[in-house]
Amino acid sequence: MAVRQKLVVIGNGMAGARLVEDVLGHGGQDLFDIVMFGDEPYGNYNRILLSGVLSGAHDPKDIFINPLAWYEENNVRLHAGVRVTAIDRENKVVFGSNNVTESYDKLVIATGSSPFIPSLEGLRHDNGDGLKEGVFVFRTLDDCEAITNYVQSGTRAAVIGGGLLGLEAARGLLDLGAKVDVVHLTSTLMEVQLDAMSGRTLKRVVEGMGIKVHLNKCTAAILGNGQVTGLKFTDGSELDCEMVVISAGIRPNVQLAEDAGLMVDRGIVVDDGMNCLDDPDIFAVGECAQHDGKVYGLVAPLWEQTGVLADRLTGRKPQALYKGSKVSTKLKVMGVELAVMGEKEARDEHDEETVYTEPARGIYKKLISRNGRLVGAILLGDVAPAPTLLQAFSRGSILPENRAELLFALSGEPTAPSLESLPDEAQVCNCNGISKGAIIDAVKGGCRSLKALCDTTRAGTGCGSCKSQVDQLLALAAGDSIVEDPSIHYYVPSIPLAKPELIKVIKERELRSVSAVMAELSGGQEDPGSKAGLASLLKTIWGKEYEDERDARFINDRVHANIQKDRTFSVIPRIYGGITSPAELRRIADVAEKYNVRMVKITGGQRIDLLGISREDLPNVWRDLGMPSGHAYTKAFRTCKTCVGSEFCRFGVGDSVALGIKIEKRFQGIESPHKMKLATTGCPRNCSEATTKDLGAVAIEGGKWEVYIGGAAGSKVRKGDVLVTVESHDEVLKFMGRFMQYYRENAKYLERTYDFVERLGIESLRRLLVEDGEGICARLDAEIQAAVDAYVDPWQEAVMPVHPAQFVNTLPTGEVERVLYQIEKMKPVYGD
Amino acid sequence: MADFADDRAVFHFDPMNKGLERAGPQPVKILSNNNQLPVSTHCPYCALQCGVLIDGEEGRSRVRGDGKFPVNKGALCMKGWTAAELLNHEERLLKPLKRNARGVLVPTEWNDALDVIARAFQSAQERGGRDAVGILGGGSLTNEKAYLLGKFARVALQTANIDYNGRFCMSSAAAAAIKAFGIDRGMPFPISDIPQAEVILLVGANPAETMPPLMQYFEEQRANGGQLIVIDPRLSATAQTAHLHLRLIPGTDAVLANGLLHLLIRDDWIDRSYIDARTEGFNAVKSVATTYWPERVERITGIPEASLVRVAETLGRARSAMILTARGPEQQQQGVNNTLSFINLALALGLVGRPFSGFGSITGQGNGQGGRELGQKADQLPGYRRIDDPEARQYIASVWGVGEEELPRAGKSAYRIMEALGAEIKALFSIGFNFTVSSPDATNVIKNLSNLDFFCAADFFLSETAKLADVVLPAAMWAEEEGTMTNLEGRVLRRRRTSLPPAEVRTDLEIICELAARLGKRKHFGFAGAEQVFDELRKATKGGIADYSGITYGRLNAGETLHWPCPGESHPGTPRLFTEFFATPNGRARFHAVRHQPASEEPDSEFPLYLTTGRVLAHYQSGTQTRRVEKLKGIIPQPCAELHPEVAKRYGLSDGAAVRLVTRRGAAVFKVKVTRGIREDTIFVPFHWGGRQSANRLTSPALDPTSQMPEFKICAVRVESFTTSSEISPEEENDIR
Repeated sequence: MAVRQKLVVIGNGMAGARLVEDVLGHGGQDLFDIVMFGDEPYGNYNRILLSGVLSGAHDPKDIFINPLAWYEENNVRLHAGVRVTAIDRENKVVFGSNNVTESYDKLVIATGSSPFIPSLEGLRHDNGDGLKEGVFVFRTLDDCEAITNYVQSGTRAAVIGGGLLGLEAARGLLDLGAKVDVVHLTSTLMEVQLDAMSGRTLKRVVEGMGIKVHLNKCTAAILGNGQVTGLKFTDGSELDCEMVVISAGIRPNVQLAEDAGLMVDRGIVVDDGMNCLDDPDIFAVGECAQHDGKVYGLVAPLWEQTGVLADRLTGRKPQALYKGSKVSTKLKVMGVELAVMGEKEARDEHDEETVYTEPARGIYKKLISRNGRLVGAILLGDVAPAPTLLQAFSRGSILPENRAELLFALSGEPTAPSLESLPDEAQVCNCNGISKGAIIDAVKGGCRSLKALCDTTRAGTGCGSCKSQVDQLLALAAGDSIVEDPSIHYYVPSIPLAKPELIKVIKERELRSVSAVMAELSGGQEDPGSKAGLASLLKTIWGKEYEDERDARFINDRVHANIQKDRTFSVIPRIYGGITSPAELRRIADVAEKYNVRMVKITGGQRIDLLGISREDLPNVWRDLGMPSGHAYTKAFRTCKTCVGSEFCRFGVGDSVALGIKIEKRFQGIESPHKMKLATTGCPRNCSEATTKDLGAVAIEGGKWEVYIGGAAGSKVRKGDVLVTVESHDEVLKFMGRFMQYYRENAKYLERTYDFVERLGIESLRRLLVEDGEGICARLDAEIQAAVDAYVDPWQEAVMPVHPAQFVNTLPTGEVERVLYQIEKMKPVYGD
Repeated sequence: MADFADDRAVFHFDPMNKGLERAGPQPVKILSNNNQLPVSTHCPYCALQCGVLIDGEEGRSRVRGDGKFPVNKGALCMKGWTAAELLNHEERLLKPLKRNARGVLVPTEWNDALDVIARAFQSAQERGGRDAVGILGGGSLTNEKAYLLGKFARVALQTANIDYNGRFCMSSAAAAAIKAFGIDRGMPFPISDIPQAEVILLVGANPAETMPPLMQYFEEQRANGGQLIVIDPRLSATAQTAHLHLRLIPGTDAVLANGLLHLLIRDDWIDRSYIDARTEGFNAVKSVATTYWPERVERITGIPEASLVRVAETLGRARSAMILTARGPEQQQQGVNNTLSFINLALALGLVGRPFSGFGSITGQGNGQGGRELGQKADQLPGYRRIDDPEARQYIASVWGVGEEELPRAGKSAYRIMEALGAEIKALFSIGFNFTVSSPDATNVIKNLSNLDFFCAADFFLSETAKLADVVLPAAMWAEEEGTMTNLEGRVLRRRRTSLPPAEVRTDLEIICELAARLGKRKHFGFAGAEQVFDELRKATKGGIADYSGITYGRLNAGETLHWPCPGESHPGTPRLFTEFFATPNGRARFHAVRHQPASEEPDSEFPLYLTTGRVLAHYQSGTQTRRVEKLKGIIPQPCAELHPEVAKRYGLSDGAAVRLVTRRGAAVFKVKVTRGIREDTIFVPFHWGGRQSANRLTSPALDPTSQMPEFKICAVRVESFTTSSEISPEEENDIR
């Protein structure tokens, strides 16, 4: 094992810190003691994101790659805010400001670059120190902060330099509310990356955003005494401004290396191993390094360099070589995007240029290919093809002959072909391997409904995901002769009848129990999914004559209480209209204490809920309460919520309490396809929320009542519709009962009133129930009366259980889970 | 010999001794459950473990979907519908086979076969030490078998070298989940949560082909207004159903995840209060995410920035969201890191433990989940206990009635075992694992296999691997034995026997017990049926992470839904994990900073394209079963290499032509399928075939350092035109020369 060496890295920026990360990533902590020098008093942050910080997109604290704690955790000694002043190569020591000295075995120079500041008249403070107030460069987090603090809405800002960074700064300033001018030395914005044509397009686009662009302008002086007031150009013209951001390019920081006698050209010259030519122990990476004549100013090449150097230093790949980078970049000025890579112009007549331009939309695209491979591209306005082009460019892969495919991202996001265009042998149902042809054949062979088609071909019977396609194919192949799948109208899945026909047959054949219905109508097949729906319907049809079968019920309906997730039950006694008395409250309190009720809760429907009662205790609780069931567990009339109404309330115009009690006494226990929540309110202020209940009555001026139906304020919110406006309590009861009965007869199982009313439409309901358009009202009134008469308080089963084990807790865990699952998932299983 | 009296009595009803000779279809006798037909059990294939109903007539079993089973709700895919065809398939192994002096496999008697095996193991261990015998288990073995095979290795053979096929399936996801959450259950929530998720990010998963009945949940999610985003280099059948498909460059999964996290942080979509309250390690992850700005991510992944932003925003806005990974990101040398990067995303969004939200990995194999937690893995003891944990060793030793010091330490992972065949490992026992088809660099594995002293395989067909064995034991199939399975959501299921195995076919449990008896460990393997094995398994997992102790056959038979952990007989099981705390020492989930690494092999001038492998609808795993089902064979008779039209044009290949693909490890031949659904830089081939059409002759054995998962999903490949006219025979043989 080699002796531990000391690795000193000068520079804590994108290159220096990345190199240390790479070295650590390859087990470098076992090989080196690592010391770093950084100019700035921070850890390392992502310089790329500074323009995002300037524009406010990034929070400055979110751009740190290596906060100070990171260095400590990784045993890297960082001299933050210390600048290295000299390298003594002979003694292998570096000297820093503040008299820091560090010896090294291996030294990496990653000093990066500095903004180039042209020598302008009036650039600096009168005392010669620092830049004039209002003059900034854009390079560091501190620069960013200084600019942000200086800019106010409407500040006139000039950016000197229309290169990549200058335009990003301009974008940031614009986002901060400044009025921005960009001053550029040459005739083309971003001339390093763009050709003349795209430069012009970009200019138009940038100007379209409200940034003024001044080309061919060489700044001579910054005007203003003490503070910036404008710029003066060499052609004598002037520009008023209150601040200046200089972004005129960058210069590699090479002074330190030059002073140390290392070979320096534009940058510190390195070989393929990132090694300085004249010293085997000194390396350079990043913007300060010059490799093969090139100095890079983008992150991707820098990180390729650090990767190679780390491989060599740690011995992971001692022969790793850096062979130069292919450069690409993207810029986003507000909504406009630009992607460039490689060369911007054809080199000679052998190069092929492919150009597409659409100036009106600010779109310009150009490809330069050489020997069938991409060597350069400019995309402006539409950068969707960029990922594909970048791959082709960086891998040097052969381009498709049809260059248009590249320019228009045909291969970017392929979409599935349309059904029509699919060949006959294409598989439509994956689960069962059914082809388009087979489905069409089946249609031609007579399958004219989706169900018949699926049954015959087996398509769609696996995961079912192809059903819509099968349906489309049906439409395609059958044209107008499609038969709608009747099963969507079935009341329950196992019996092929819609509700009215089903009711008719049940009545005709006098089927009074679920098992009788099943035996007669579903071919003897016992379908558990249909039982509860049938039970509800039979109860509606037969009332007292219904032959109850307990297995057709959910657990809630078997024990007349609501099962909770811990398998205890909740008990809600009936409190008519929400009006109670001290004696009743005392009784409830006694019961709650006696049975150790875990929670006593006032429900949303103004009732009292006793939670946490075991199954065995249910009959005793009911007996001790001496109150009827509140039906808060089943598909039935639940409660009628009331407001105080005219008796006490200063605003009340109708006696909502008395009405509420009447409603509740009349309709308690009325079973229905789904639960029904009701309310009455004494004035249109609607304190008891009657307009968003299944049924509601709202008192209005003149002693009248509006009857609302189909309101909801649960997972769905819907304001109810006014069915009718009436003059008396009795009429409210009449129309409410009539609607309830119609709903009971015609809604699908588990269809709430709000879906039902929406499905049928309020106009047709008014026609049926108010205008008696089909002459059914008398019958509906009689039926509901029969149902009211049939009411028996289920809690009387406390005295007379239906069977001995009714309240014995024999429910196996799985049953509870299953039941809970069903309850949780309770919604129509078909044709919603 | 182990006492399987209840089973034995019926084993002798029809002694067929025809061995290798094609015996012709055998009638199947359907066993009823208390005279009630159909019998409900579960499909033999993937980790969804669809409920099926079995009945039948005239000696044939018939399979239907079980509409009452809440997982598949009656749906089955074509693999499931046809599963029973194999029970009386003419190629069933009906007698033990032994290689004779001329090197030919010939029928022999059970006693002889078992004696030979026991002697061979003993002699290998005498010469090479205890670890000289290796054991490989399949990914579809029942919980009972997985448990007993582990015990067999540790107690009967005392070898450290046992591992299972799940190493090639779930190991990366498992390792990542343990690192982040302290517990590995593929999905820590029931699949019934899927429809309620507003957004689902599906990473490298193709359930539309691998487990079609699962798709109904995604359909329902869509019907509820949910968004589905699929990340996959291919426009897979699943991706075609997505609202957005991100066609990333193979091997850049972690870049994509980090890039999304970058955007979520930038635009403040992350859940800072969740991060503070329930996690640790976010700052380091945030720092890494800083370096994945959109332009960089676009360049590396090939995903347009606009799509990245759209995904981040969609995830950020969602009130509930799920991130689900599968083999795509996991079967890579960076598999654990890739998975962790997506877990980071889920944690930063505060999804894990929230209703209808979270992170999950979709387990692939039938019992990938149960297999990995019951002691069939090189580094684990039953109950997801670590084999290097002194307390765990002590406990398991006491359950097994052996000394703690007798238990071996951690052994080699699956591919490492295959590498060591013929070297440190001299004898091998494999149950239901067709590894010469399913392991990477298969040519090399086959070569190593030929250097073994002794190789025994138990299987129901003469698979490509069994063909190379010295002794082949005919094993019972799924419908012929009792047991339990654990599906992708940690739900433990009863696999019921619905028919009898052929006369001389034995169950794996019997085989293990009988071998153990011959190795002198009879008293540790005295089980009278699967339920007794399960009862010991319950004891062994008690107190472990994957605690099965409260699950009984009685409860399962009564139809209870039980997700582990289930620590007591009155415990209702745990459908949802992490609602309040994580299984880490301080109860917090852990972020892991992931800096992506390139794949072990990137395209270059010599091998200019990516090769990625995967599955197709009609086949399962190495195809031992599905390639023998007429209907499935008819639908997809041979593997097709998917090529982009540009690639096909470049090499002058058209649809249906034959193409030879070459990597640094070998060559294989496929039929060309030209499709725009694949990237221009990538070729896809399915891996269900052996011989000259074996995708795994091409794949790289680079392993994830943590999970030991091979990099099945990425290697560099070259296209060599083969012939444009001649058809390739689907029946290519193993050809190692």
